[in-house]
Amino acid sequence: MVFEGLLIIFTKERYLDLFLEGLANTLILTASSFAIGFMLGLLIAVERLYGPRILRAALAAYVETIRGTPMLLQLFLLYYALPSAGIAMSALTAAILGMGFNSAAYQSEYLRASLRAVPSGQWEAALSLGMTKWQAIRSIILPIGLRSAIPALSNELVYLLKYSSIAYFLAVVELVYAGKIIGSETFAYLEMYTLIALVYLVFSLLITRSMKKIESKIMIPGLAVTAERT
Amino acid sequence: MPGSTVFTSIAPYIKVILDGLPETLLLTFGGFGIGLVVGPILAFMEIYGPKPLARLAAAIEEVIRGIPLLVLMFIIYFGLPELGIRLTPLPAAILAIGIRSLAYQSQIIRSAVISIPAGQWEAALSLGMSPVGAFINIIIPQAFRIAIPGLVNQFTVDLKDTSIAYAIGVAEIFTQAVHVAQVILDYLPPLLFVGLIYFVLTYTASSLASTLYRRLAIPGLGAGGVVTV
Amino acid sequence: MSDIVLRVEDLWKSFGKQTVLRGVTFTVKRGEVKVLMGPSGGGKSTLLRTINLLVRPDRGRIELEGIEVFPRPAMKINKIRERIGFVFQQFNLFMHLTALDNVRIGLIKVKKLPPEEATRRAIEALQMVGITEDLWHKYPAQLSGGQQQRVAIARAIAMKPSIILMDEPTSALDPELVGEVLKVIEELARRRTTMLIVTHELDFALEAADEIMIMDQGVIVERGTPDEILRNPKHERTRRFIERILRRQERLNTLK
Ligand SMILES: Nc1ncnc2c1ncn2[C@@H]1O[C@H](COP(=O)(O)OP(=O)(O)O)[C@@H](O)[C@H]1O
Ligand SMILES: [Mg+2]
Repeated sequence: MVFEGLLIIFTKERYLDLFLEGLANTLILTASSFAIGFMLGLLIAVERLYGPRILRAALAAYVETIRGTPMLLQLFLLYYALPSAGIAMSALTAAILGMGFNSAAYQSEYLRASLRAVPSGQWEAALSLGMTKWQAIRSIILPIGLRSAIPALSNELVYLLKYSSIAYFLAVVELVYAGKIIGSETFAYLEMYTLIALVYLVFSLLITRSMKKIESKIMIPGLAVTAERT
Repeated sequence: MPGSTVFTSIAPYIKVILDGLPETLLLTFGGFGIGLVVGPILAFMEIYGPKPLARLAAAIEEVIRGIPLLVLMFIIYFGLPELGIRLTPLPAAILAIGIRSLAYQSQIIRSAVISIPAGQWEAALSLGMSPVGAFINIIIPQAFRIAIPGLVNQFTVDLKDTSIAYAIGVAEIFTQAVHVAQVILDYLPPLLFVGLIYFVLTYTASSLASTLYRRLAIPGLGAGGVVTV
Repeated sequence: MSDIVLRVEDLWKSFGKQTVLRGVTFTVKRGEVKVLMGPSGGGKSTLLRTINLLVRPDRGRIELEGIEVFPRPAMKINKIRERIGFVFQQFNLFMHLTALDNVRIGLIKVKKLPPEEATRRAIEALQMVGITEDLWHKYPAQLSGGQQQRVAIARAIAMKPSIILMDEPTSALDPELVGEVLKVIEELARRRTTMLIVTHELDFALEAADEIMIMDQGVIVERGTPDEILRNPKHERTRRFIERILRRQERLNTLK
C-alpha cells in the first residue's frame, strides 16, 4: 500500500512537487513552532518561578487557558478571528504562531518542573559564592534544569510534528493537505494516507533517536531526568 | 468589536453550538472508552505476554503514537472504503480517537504496573496467592491509583481533539461553532464561546480527577505520571 | 583595619512559633578558628545561614569587617556573600560542572577574573586540598564524598573570603573518608584561615579550635578554650553532651 502510494506520487511531477512541498511545510511548522515554544516557554517558566507575583498569576492563566482548549481552536482564532481586529497574516504564519503559542504553555510546564527539581543546595551554593539571583539562574539552575528537561522536550517535538497536521484546516499545504489533493485526484486515498502516516512515523523515530543522541552527549553523570510525558 | 457585545451577536446561535455537545461527548467517551478497554490489554501483553506477542504489542503502540490523529481519521474515513469498509463520520471519528487513545493509555498503564516494586509480587506470592490472585488483589489496585493522573490527562487530550472530527464533518461543538461563524460572518464570538465550553469541560474533568485521586490516595504511593491538566 | 572579622550581636530568629536563635552574641577575630558544637536542633545551622543571609534573622546585628550585614546591608547582599565562604554538609557541588569548573565558576562569574587567571587560582586551590590532576575533569557524581567535600572547600578558599563558615563538613561522609577532609581543614587552621566550624568531631575541635562554643536551644551556653570546655564545663548539660560525644568517638575508635 505504501509502495503504491509512492508509485502514485511519481506518476506526475506535480504530485511529487506537492508531496515535497507538504513535507517541507510540515518540517517548517514543526521546527519553527518548537523554537517559538521553547523561547516563550523558558521565559514563562523562569518568570513563573522567579518573577513578580502579578506576572506569575497572568502567566498561569495563560498556560491554563491554552491547555484547557483545543489547538485547532487557537489556530482558528489567530487565522480567522484576528483579521476582524485588523491583524491578518498568512495561513502558514498563523499556524506557526498558533502552534508556537500552544507549545509555549506545555514547554513552560516541563521546564518549570525541571527547574524546580534542581536541588535547593545548588541554589544555595551559587548564592553563597556571591552570585546574584540571575547569575545563579543563568549559570547554575538553567544548565542543570534544561538538561533534565530534554526527554520531555523531545516528546514535545514529536507531538508538534504530529499536530502540525492541524495546519491542514487553514489550507496550509503540509503533508496531509498534499495527500488529500493527490488522493482526491487519483482516488487512492488509502495509499496516500498510509504513505503519509509512514512519513510521520519515520520522522517521529528520527526525532526521538537524534534527541537521545543529543541527550547522551550533553548528559552529565548523576543528573536526574524529570518525568517523561506520556 | 467591544468586549461587552462579543456574545450578544451569537445569543440566538448558542443553542446551535450546544446542539453539538452530545456528539462531542460521544466522541470523547467513545474514544476514551475504547482506549480504556484495549489499552490495558495491550499493556499486559507487553509486560506479561510471550516475547513475540510483547514485541507486537509494543510495535502497534509505537506505530499509532507516531501518526497524527487527523491522518488516522482520514485513513479510516476516506481510506477504508477502498477495502469495502464504509463508516459514517461519527463512528469513524470515534474509532480514530479510540485507536490513538488506546496507544497512550497502554503506555500509561504499563509504566504504572512496572513502577510497582518487585517486592510486592514476591510478598503476595509468599502469602500463597496465585499469580492471578496477586495480580488482581495487589498489583491492579496500586497500578490503578498510580495511573489516574495520566489517564485523566489522556481523557482531556481526547476531549480537546474531538474538534479534529470537524475534518470529516461530525457535527460536534467546534464544527457547529465554525458553521455559526460562517453564517454571522464573525469568527470571534462563536470561537470564544466554544473555547469556554472546552475549558469548562477539561477543568471539570481534571477537578473530578484530583478529587478522586485524593480520595483514593494512599500515603507513600506516588503518581506515575505528571498531572498536566 | 579592625582585628575583628565577624561580629554577631543579640541575633534572634524564629520559624513560625519556634524560636531557633535567642540572642546569640560572639565575634571571630582574624586568623581565629572557632568551633561551634551542640546537640542537633540547637540552631547551629540556622546561625551559620543567617550570617551569609541565606536565612534572614529577625533582629540583632551582624557585621563583617566592620561593614553592616544586618539589619541594613551596607552593600549588595551578593557582594557580602562573596566575602564569606560556605562549606555545606551535603557538599552542594554544582552537578553539571567538573571539579575544576566548580572552583573556577565563582572566580569567573563573581570575581570576573580572566579565564586563565581563574584556572590558575582554581588549580592552586585544588592542589591545596589534595585533589590531584586526574580528578580535575571529573563530575561530582564521579567523585567520592571526601573528594567532593575537598573540592567544595577549594571552591570556598579560591574566592579568598574573609571568613569561611563550615556546617558539619564531615557529617555526610562515610567514616573512612572523614579523616582526609579533617586533615585539609586542620591545614587551613594551621595557615590561620579565619573559620567558624560546626562539627561533632571532638578530637578535631580540641586540636584545631582556638575557642569552642557550645550552643543549645538557640543560645550559646558555654564558651572557652578547648581545655576549659573539656576539663571543667560550667553546665551539667555541656558535660553530658561532651560525654556523649566522647563515648561515640570511643565506639568508633574501637570499631576501627
Ligand atoms: N527553614 C526552616 N523552616 C522551619 N524550621 C526550621 C528551618 N530551618 C531550621 N528549622 C528548625 O530550627 C531548629 C534548629 O535547626 P538547625 O539550625 O538546623 O539546628 P542544628 O544545625 O543545630 O541541628 C530545628 O528545630 C529545625 O527544625
Ligand atoms: Mg545542622
